[in-house]
Amino acid sequence: MEDERLRKVGALQTFVSRPELGSVFGLAIIVITFMTLTSISGTFSAMWTNPIGIQAWVELAAFVGILGIGASLLMIAGEFDLSMGANIALAGHSFALLLLFGVPVVPAIFLTFVELAILGYIIGSIVVRTGLPSFIVTLGFWFASRGFAVFLSQTLVNQSRLSVKTQLKPPAGGGEDPTLIDNIFAFDKAFGLPFDAEVYYFVILVIITAFMLHRTRYGNWIYAAGGDAQAARAVGVPVNRVKISLFMVSTCLACLLGILTVMTSGASDPKAGDFRELHAIAAAVIGGCALMGGYGSVIGAVLGALIFAIASRGINFVPFIDNNLFRVMLGFLVLGAALLNQFLRNRVLRG
Amino acid sequence: MTATIQLKGVSKFFGNIIALKDISFEAHKGEVTALLGDNGAGKSTLIKCLSGVHTPDEGEILIEGKPVKFGSPRQAAAAGIGTVYQDLALQPLMSVSRNFFLGREISKGLFLDLNKMSEVTRQEMAKLGIDVADPNQPIGTLSGGQRQTLAIARAIYFGAKVLILDEPTSALGQKQQLEVLRTVNEVRNRNDIAIIFITHNDLHARLIGDRFTFLNRGRILADGTKSEIDPDNLRNLMAGGAELAELEAELKN
Repeated sequence: MEDERLRKVGALQTFVSRPELGSVFGLAIIVITFMTLTSISGTFSAMWTNPIGIQAWVELAAFVGILGIGASLLMIAGEFDLSMGANIALAGHSFALLLLFGVPVVPAIFLTFVELAILGYIIGSIVVRTGLPSFIVTLGFWFASRGFAVFLSQTLVNQSRLSVKTQLKPPAGGGEDPTLIDNIFAFDKAFGLPFDAEVYYFVILVIITAFMLHRTRYGNWIYAAGGDAQAARAVGVPVNRVKISLFMVSTCLACLLGILTVMTSGASDPKAGDFRELHAIAAAVIGGCALMGGYGSVIGAVLGALIFAIASRGINFVPFIDNNLFRVMLGFLVLGAALLNQFLRNRVLRG
Repeated sequence: MTATIQLKGVSKFFGNIIALKDISFEAHKGEVTALLGDNGAGKSTLIKCLSGVHTPDEGEILIEGKPVKFGSPRQAAAAGIGTVYQDLALQPLMSVSRNFFLGREISKGLFLDLNKMSEVTRQEMAKLGIDVADPNQPIGTLSGGQRQTLAIARAIYFGAKVLILDEPTSALGQKQQLEVLRTVNEVRNRNDIAIIFITHNDLHARLIGDRFTFLNRGRILADGTKSEIDPDNLRNLMAGGAELAELEAELKN
């Protein structure tokens, strides 16, 4: 700090001060660990080379990762959304109910996105207007969103699980020509692609949001809103608008997953997305996002989601380890990652 | 010569409290106007009137001879008032160049023009005598004095004709205080910016000031140019002369 001039830093140190660093190590450790464990139990090829085995963890990573994008953007802006998982169920149920009441697929999708965007606007406005911690506000919506979804479906059609198989045209594999909407939302089946549509959406969304975060002024404002909101306001950054817009991003990502789940499975389950908000937050934390805001990256959340998914699915390929031990392991993984990230962050702060 | 900024009989009241009463002073480009006063003298209220946070209840503010009225800090900034607050309004984890341009980023199409931003940051800092090796480093790697310089360079680059520095040396170590004074001198030497330097450090005021205005309990206690004011009297004025003598007598007993 007493230096007259700035020190030159090499490429190594620049790399060391990236928020994703911890998760790069984490991913390497998890991959090596599970490759070793599956080799021991003779299931290496089932997990790592068999298409169905790969699908299992890649698709889970995409699901958690899409939410993780929202979780990490919000955390960088210093906020938090616990209602993401519940909003998946709300979106799925809203979409399914619209279909059951005869609304065609395309307008139903549009209306569901509008509904969830408004919900995000409401959540964000409550947070910035009242000054309550977003943890508390979204805890309220964690109860309310799923509760409202099930209440609606039970009141309107007297069911809590909504099957819409007859409302959705079977996609290409089913023998009929794929409709326009199959091409957009279930294009994996329409084009015979190896992974669920989530995976491709995930890749596209990661590229878009990563560029947005690091290369646009909006991204700059997200970091500033979470770093020091007062300082950001002093130089004219519209902090409240940035935060509200991110809550809308978060609910719209939940909406995407809710609709995709219904399109893929042909039904909307009231338990859809249960606990996924915590998995997404775990992915963001493993990926280097700071709970206090101002620090983190979307790429980190991607790595975090991969770590979560490999550990989560991998345990099924390692029969000699108890399933409950997996939760213990995951818990320590989150803790260890958070500690490592805190250490790295402090290095950046001190320079 | 018309003053860059001039206050004529400015008063500010909060309910029955007289925060400022009949304040008149002026600042010229290429000069440092030191605004001195103890805590509670009304320095902060005066800065807030100048930077558009408060609107004065009486009197007027003139910029280059024209009366102005600010409804918000944004209007004051647009009129050429650049305020550097004590906490500097910087983002600790953000890079030097991103901090420089925060809220006023340069974009090329959709994306930020990071090269241009780095280049300008480096140039503007160099003008104030600080060589930034890598503007992409986090601001945490700058010293307190260098951060102060960054905030000053930012205000100047975005069009400040009047630079208000709110106690720029008070939170720094000795060595860094001098670094900041050197920066202030660099700005003065440009000859196109009027500097208002708020401080309660009489030593710094004496080193850098061309004009002095002393505030006490919301009123002007004394003012004058460097030649008009006896430098040895500065300390007495700062401490409120008589009170200091009283304390001295008390301590001797």
